[in-house]
Amino acid sequence: MAAELAIEARGLLKSFDGKPAVRGIDIAVPTGSIYGILGPNGAGKTTTLRMLLGIIEPDQGTRTLLGHERPLEAAKMVGYLPEERGLYPAMTTREAIAFMGALRGLPLEVGRKRADILLGDNGLGDYVDKPVKSLSKGMAQTIQLFGTIVHKPKLVVLDEPFSGLDAINQGRLEHLIRDEAAAGTTVIFSTHVIHHAERLCERVAIIAGGQIRFEGLVAEARDRLAPQVRLRTRTADGPWRGALPADAQLRDGVWDFDLPKGGVEPLLKALIDGGAGVEELSIERPGLHDAFVAIAGEDAARGMDDDTDPLGEAA
Amino acid sequence: MTGIFEAAWVIARRDFVATVWSRSFILFLLAPLVVFAVALISGQLIDAREGESLRPQVAVIADGATTRALGEARTRLVTGTSEWSFPILRPVDPAENLAVQAGRLLADGAEGYSAVFSGTLDRPVLTGPAKVDETVGRRMQLLVDEARRTAALEASHQTPPPVAIERVMIDQSAGNLQMTRRLIARAVQMMIFGITVLLATLLLSNMAEEKSNKVIEVLAAAVPLDSVFLGKLAAMLGISFVGLALWGGLGVLAYVFVQMVQDWVTLPQVAPAVGWPAFILLVLFYYGTNYMLLGALFLGIGAQASNIREIQTISMPVTLLQVVVVMIAVAAVGDDGGALAWFAAIFPFSSPLAMIAQAARYESLWPHLLALVWQAIWVVVIIRASARLFRRTVLKSAPGGAFFSLDFWRAGSR
Repeated sequence: MAAELAIEARGLLKSFDGKPAVRGIDIAVPTGSIYGILGPNGAGKTTTLRMLLGIIEPDQGTRTLLGHERPLEAAKMVGYLPEERGLYPAMTTREAIAFMGALRGLPLEVGRKRADILLGDNGLGDYVDKPVKSLSKGMAQTIQLFGTIVHKPKLVVLDEPFSGLDAINQGRLEHLIRDEAAAGTTVIFSTHVIHHAERLCERVAIIAGGQIRFEGLVAEARDRLAPQVRLRTRTADGPWRGALPADAQLRDGVWDFDLPKGGVEPLLKALIDGGAGVEELSIERPGLHDAFVAIAGEDAARGMDDDTDPLGEAA
Repeated sequence: MTGIFEAAWVIARRDFVATVWSRSFILFLLAPLVVFAVALISGQLIDAREGESLRPQVAVIADGATTRALGEARTRLVTGTSEWSFPILRPVDPAENLAVQAGRLLADGAEGYSAVFSGTLDRPVLTGPAKVDETVGRRMQLLVDEARRTAALEASHQTPPPVAIERVMIDQSAGNLQMTRRLIARAVQMMIFGITVLLATLLLSNMAEEKSNKVIEVLAAAVPLDSVFLGKLAAMLGISFVGLALWGGLGVLAYVFVQMVQDWVTLPQVAPAVGWPAFILLVLFYYGTNYMLLGALFLGIGAQASNIREIQTISMPVTLLQVVVVMIAVAAVGDDGGALAWFAAIFPFSSPLAMIAQAARYESLWPHLLALVWQAIWVVVIIRASARLFRRTVLKSAPGGAFFSLDFWRAGSR
């Protein structure tokens, strides 16, 4: 099955100066998927990505990148956007993109042509010959992202790609990630903004305290929590109360409780038969944020979503 | 060209273009000209203002005949040696009390006399501190002896007519050959040392640029760190060759110009033992390996520094190391076949300088092939060690892979 996995890691351990940063990471990223690594700052996301890419060696554990046990053997098929963005300030945007492609084996001439196309297609054609130092932070980040994909990699690794971007650029980036995935590229990114992962990812790994707390489909993470029922009735009391779970809570005349295992139909029948006078009943699937809180805990959740999600309403 | 070399080429090309197209490169190219111009101007200023003050002056308090005889003796001796070989003689009119006058002259800071000559050629007296005996005393003795001999010969009308030495010309003498080749060896050693000092220390701050621009992670994720180090080294070597080509070209033009205008600059007529073409080629090769060896070391050391202050702190010991190395190599020139010569030839950092001296003095070419391979091996070893140290200390990662792994040049190896 290894051939179907773009990345597979087992038991990755890493300590810095005796302090454990990652304590046994297992990850399996299917080829062609969009995969998110979620966790608060300091959870071990960047260390994990660096180990997967071979920038740093794990103290223990194995990893396979596009079928290669030595990550650099797959370097030409990988694109990487580090958390700390780095470009040569005096380089023009075209040369910066082409240089990053050349590092991954793309001939410079081809890289320059593709850079022109990438910049032109994204409304940045006027900046082709501008030095990187003259660009805004967000624009420079976009240039580095283009450098990450200019050689048409099979795997794109993005470390906190949305960090520091405004709403427009975050939207562009989400589109770009979807486009890459649609073209068959595997995309793995880390984030501490859950909404990005929720909108983009099929699978996620939730990391907290250097450990994987969950690894699987987003739907599976949500399914860890029962759907939430919101119920408003005309009568305050009656036999129908027996149909509600014991931990149901009443707030401002609205009952909140987990959907019973039997499903909504038996519940609805019991409410009607018990004379509840149902005014409103809604069932809400829990979001990834709720799942994250349930999986990683309140402390970890407090470290998430520090960055605002300007696309939240639109999504 | 695959793996590490392909990646190194990408890095080298970027660094080379970025440096050569920068404004600061013009300053870099002009630096030797500026140094040369400053040295020339300051030299002329010193010569004009300080030249005489650097030579001892002797006040001559004597009668006219004695003063004239001493002056003529000096002129004759200086003709066969140099103006710097004898003290400057300054005639001073005698005062009533010679002892007082001598004391006053020697205490006069404005005049700056080292000693005072008084009396006659038959009863000469030199007043001055004991320290000046070496520089002034013995030379004044020579002048007096010469003046007296000439006076005696003239008085007896036995002055022999001048005789021109008949020159029997041969191609070369062993003594002259050896001496000139040693001079060539030392001159080339100093030239390689000087250029390396100028350029290799630039590498100290080279990796700091990657760290400050935060590009290092992009590089480390894409290519082996060995190729980053190798590429940076190769780029700086290429840049230095651009400088050498320009400075060398200007030097040749200047020589041709001077020869056209005034034929006063002569190149040594003695060729290095291996011949000029092979010697020039070896100079380029040994300059390359010398630069790569020291450069790799400096790059590795500089990569540990996290800011300019740290780089400045480590510059001093690094420069001292270079001076020690060149001293070993220069000393080895005079130690034919001795332990020092062997050590200098084998010790990686002095090997290029020691071996170029060998090329100047001995005909065999095969030791150079061995030496170049030996030096290249050490370049690889130092680059590998630097990269591993960088991974361990800066990236906080285990070095990964065996140090002498035979496939280290593959892109996928660590």
